Amino acid sequence: MTSRWHDTINLDDLWEGDMTSVVVDGEVVLLVNVDGTVRAYSNRCPHQASALDEGDLDGETLTCAKHLWEFNAVTGCGINPDDARLTSFGCQVGDDGTIYVDIGR
Amino acid sequence: MSTPRIVVVGGGAGSAAAVAGLRQEGFDGEITLISAEDIVPYERPPLSKDYLMGRSGSVLVKDPAWYEQQSVELLLGRRATRLDLAGSTVALSDGSVIGYDQLLLATGVRPRVLPGIDGDGVCYLRTVRDAAELRDRIGAAGHVAVLGGGFIGCEVASAAMQLGKRATILEALPTLLHRALGPDLGEVVAALHREAGVDVRTGQQVNGLTPRPGGGVRITTGDGPVDADVLVVGVGTVPNQELAEQAGLPVGGGILVDEHFATAVPRVWAVGDVASQHLPGYGRRVRVEHHDTALRHGRAVARNMLGQREPFRDVHWFWSDQFEHTIQSAGLAEVTGPLVIRGSLEQRSFSAFSLDGDRLRGVISLNRPRDVLDARRLIARDHHATVDQLRDESLPLKRLASPAAPVP
Repeated sequence: MTSRWHDTINLDDLWEGDMTSVVVDGEVVLLVNVDGTVRAYSNRCPHQASALDEGDLDGETLTCAKHLWEFNAVTGCGINPDDARLTSFGCQVGDDGTIYVDIGR
Repeated sequence: MSTPRIVVVGGGAGSAAAVAGLRQEGFDGEITLISAEDIVPYERPPLSKDYLMGRSGSVLVKDPAWYEQQSVELLLGRRATRLDLAGSTVALSDGSVIGYDQLLLATGVRPRVLPGIDGDGVCYLRTVRDAAELRDRIGAAGHVAVLGGGFIGCEVASAAMQLGKRATILEALPTLLHRALGPDLGEVVAALHREAGVDVRTGQQVNGLTPRPGGGVRITTGDGPVDADVLVVGVGTVPNQELAEQAGLPVGGGILVDEHFATAVPRVWAVGDVASQHLPGYGRRVRVEHHDTALRHGRAVARNMLGQREPFRDVHWFWSDQFEHTIQSAGLAEVTGPLVIRGSLEQRSFSAFSLDGDRLRGVISLNRPRDVLDARRLIARDHHATVDQLRDESLPLKRLASPAAPVP
């Protein structure tokens, strides 16, 4: 299995408590920064594929604006409903602050 | 000592949320869920949207195996016929009688039926069975008529058009969604339906209905007859309060409960569409027929039933999808005073706020879900808002939160 790390934005452009979307190899990826912990997810809500970057990040809670589904932005697990889950991508921050994402291709 | 038993009457999303909540909060007694439908609780919102268009997968809230894992006894396809408050029992349509230690009434609502508007070719939409029948009928139809320009009517017309059918909405009031949105916003919705090709006929009295030879119906209106292959009637609902009423529980446009979902009788609770809830924050009763509220009710009543006295303070919220547009609302969704508009009615991207002094009471929005998220959070906490601030799109709504508001 090969892993491909794509460089995206710099941590300087993603403040704590902030989220943004980037395009990686045609895939829209949601980047969130919860207290310095950066995570990458598919930008599509598992409910009806609505864009999550139009929603809200409050502390650890990510809310989809379309139907108010809520997720833990650190674990990707659903809060309401609790049996949903965000599609998670590999994510790491380089020494220079570059955020790298692995979407599996 | 016997194991305590909680009996839930009704098989909607609120019931499922309550059952899940009870187990999550650690209740390990017996739970029995009674439903007149022969299917486990399911999501109703898709029934007038994606489900009709054949685009939704399973609509079940939880699959049947979940109830078994959670040791929830399902009594499906059985109606609760009699409630004995003194004896703490519920009688069912199959003749059985079930005792309870606590009872949750989540009996929902049923469509209001118009006298004389029935027979072949006439559909009401409430259950998944109704929706399956309607989906088949729309599939075979060329022209779908809808009686009632409320949410159900608008969504069904939208689905029919997207399936390539002709659609006509017959509404007695001057605009669509008149009661929910008021005349100005209702007119915006009517315009977008007309633009999408729906024949929107407002101010229409429907006088009668006759079957057409070969199928379909002829609808007699003040402006002449309308021929359709199927007529969908969406003219409001009636709360299923008879079980409670016959038992002597106070009712009045729903089963009366306080902010903890308690009825007048200890250990008997009510939630969801059927619950007319007194909310001190609003200073009056509200009965809300929206999915999100039912889910929140279910989770909150579970905690109250288990002894945590937790008043319901969640901000009411709903959405409706029609064509490519999304209507959302948060707070008290009633249009009484003047509205403050952020965005543009013409461009169909706006939020209409209602204010009580410098406090937001509610927002109705078209294609601006982000505003609704922000407003919903503001309504739940201390804030100050002026007309100018709300109109100023360069000012993020979040900024209107009072600085003293605690940051979680």
